[in-house]
Amino acid sequence: MEDDDFDDLLAGVEFAHDSSRESLTSAATDLFAFSDGYDPMPSATSGEFSVIADPRRSMYSEEQAAVCFSPRHYSNCDEVNDERPYRRHAPLLEKIEEIFDQMAADLTNERPELVITLKSKPTSSSEAAKEGADQRTQKFRRICFPGKSAEEAWRFTVIIRILQLIHEALSKDTVISKRDIYYRDPALFGNQTHVNRYIDAIALTFSTPRSSLNIAAVAKGLITGAALFTRRNGSTLNVASTAEGEGTLVLNLQDILCVNLDRVKWILVVEKEASFRSIASSASFSAKLAEQGILITGKGYPDIATRALLHFLATPSPRNGFRAPPVYGLVDYDPDGLAILSTYKDGSIALAHESEALRVPSIRWLGVRAEHIGREGGGLHSDQGLLGLTPRDRRKAIKMLERAREGEEKCEMRQALQGMLMLNLKAELQLLDAQAGGMVELLEAGLSGEE
Amino acid sequence: MSKLYLQTHTVSDAHPTDIFSLAVTPTHLLSASGSSSIKVHDSNSEVPAQTLEKAHALGCHHVCASKDGKVAASAGFGGEVKLWVSDGDGEAAWVEKGSILEPAKAGEQWALALNENGQYLACTTHDGRINVYDTATISDSTASKIARFETKGVFALCVDLSPDSPCTMTASGHQNGTIFIFSNTTQRLVHALTGLIKPVRSVKFSPACKYLAAAGDARIIALYDTQSGEQVANLTGHASWVMSLDWNWSGEYLLSGCYDGKAKVWSLERRECVATQTESDKCLWAVKWLPLVKGARSEMFVTAGAGKTLSFYREATGS
Repeated sequence: MEDDDFDDLLAGVEFAHDSSRESLTSAATDLFAFSDGYDPMPSATSGEFSVIADPRRSMYSEEQAAVCFSPRHYSNCDEVNDERPYRRHAPLLEKIEEIFDQMAADLTNERPELVITLKSKPTSSSEAAKEGADQRTQKFRRICFPGKSAEEAWRFTVIIRILQLIHEALSKDTVISKRDIYYRDPALFGNQTHVNRYIDAIALTFSTPRSSLNIAAVAKGLITGAALFTRRNGSTLNVASTAEGEGTLVLNLQDILCVNLDRVKWILVVEKEASFRSIASSASFSAKLAEQGILITGKGYPDIATRALLHFLATPSPRNGFRAPPVYGLVDYDPDGLAILSTYKDGSIALAHESEALRVPSIRWLGVRAEHIGREGGGLHSDQGLLGLTPRDRRKAIKMLERAREGEEKCEMRQALQGMLMLNLKAELQLLDAQAGGMVELLEAGLSGEE
Repeated sequence: MSKLYLQTHTVSDAHPTDIFSLAVTPTHLLSASGSSSIKVHDSNSEVPAQTLEKAHALGCHHVCASKDGKVAASAGFGGEVKLWVSDGDGEAAWVEKGSILEPAKAGEQWALALNENGQYLACTTHDGRINVYDTATISDSTASKIARFETKGVFALCVDLSPDSPCTMTASGHQNGTIFIFSNTTQRLVHALTGLIKPVRSVKFSPACKYLAAAGDARIIALYDTQSGEQVANLTGHASWVMSLDWNWSGEYLLSGCYDGKAKVWSLERRECVATQTESDKCLWAVKWLPLVKGARSEMFVTAGAGKTLSFYREATGS
């Protein structure tokens, strides 16, 4: 999902024409329902306190458009005033409402087109870094309705619909998942990827992390090991105590109050669920894991929840007891494996604007490395499990090299990619399972240095 | 009877990253690595005589030079090939003459070989083609192909051009273990050799063009008769993948570099390994004999690879 292989954010998408008009109509209806009888849920529950807010105002009435924020709220939460959802989300709600106000005005004035302007993501990390320094270089993209083509009209509709759902989530202070959004209107969105792209684009446009739009990816990561979490509601969770080799779904960071890492000597991140399970259930390693390590997988390209949790565990803070256990990455020896490692380490390009809180720059590449393949001992059979790079692999590797070029020439990623291109070979993690004791040996050798 | 080679000197950290390829001229050694510059070394000095800065932004994986030392070519990870020329005397003054950039969809350009006088440049592409260019025509934007050999679309990891006489041939070694030998005069396929099965990482014609040596992940070095296409010898002894091969000037000895860091010298007469050098356990991407210096009694060779070091060896003479 965070695969940054996407071409231009807004180009070349297939879309569902037929539903465009209908969905736009329904989106519009929903919006005007907002303006007519806007009656937000009077209460919202967040954690242990409940808040009653009444942000009763009309989005489209000219008189009130100038009013910034005047909710009358009857609140019982003296201790946590700043946590009131409406106030917390007010700036974003305003931004969204501004967009709709503008459109309402355009409609009233019978302008020929409705326009939304989105920021495009920069095309490389280095560009992103530059843009951080200079906001003026941001690229903008105008999307009009009815626009020049049916596709543009569809894009416009998709954005409006997502904005409306975000508005709903923010004003009710509920968290919705990307998948929820897709299922609200599958005929319009066509597939999940479109939803993900436009959510990221909207977050970028508002210069805000996606989580503050109250959108979460469905957690797909797994964790197990010697960590003891305390949730905000006071309950504790021992991730090691779940069924053997199963792991616990990665927790939402917002639910975690603190974590006890006293026993943790290392954190191991593996690319694949299969390897996660084989390590967690291996006879020789599971005991060690329960005593002194944490094992995490993002199942391929990691989602935000997994990266956020890893960042939280590996970055010293009062909430994790100021611990910074070393983090090791175990990924396939192929361009995707390295890209996954780099997503943990440096963040993804699609979400460059919010990577800071998700990066784990200290992650070390444990394997599979070039040294682990082609060695003597296994005879001819040790070459089993090796595959040639496909043209797609090579293109991906070269793209990644291009991105790494402005970095240091000695950087590990660049050297690894070059070596891989030279060998023209790739190897999966399972290769280590095939060799007797291969995985355990590698882990013990790699992790023992830190004891 | 085995031979003994002694390390004469090393240039440590010759490049900041893996050294992937070496080329020799009568006076110089060119080295290419994952960094963007190509370095030109005198045979004795540790300081490069010339550095071709920013030759390949993404790093350089192949470099080759004509025997007369007047033409060199290099290929970068971005898929581009550059041609360099020098006046060929002792002063290292390589200048860029031009470049070849294939359209992106044709696949990146990979292995390179120049013929003796540097007139022809053979270049493989990722989709299995071998293009032969007339280097006289290579300029900033254009290059004319004088031959184009099609194979079955399998990545050609290595290529070699035979000496100009008695016959001129092109050989390519592929990911699936196939070796093709083409005649340059008729532009036809002469032999398709499939014995190695695993990726072929180096093919080299012997100086008299009698043999073709080929090796790779099969861990053996195969010798083929270039006329009949028959395999005439199997040199076994390497425990890992063979990355690089080179014949000495007379064709009596073959040098090989292995993924496990070992370099071996093989006697053609005896068909066996006569010397093994273990410098480290890091992959040797490239091994090369140095041209025989007039008056010197023994031949030298150089190895380079993931150790980032150039190591020079000389045969220990009797006394």
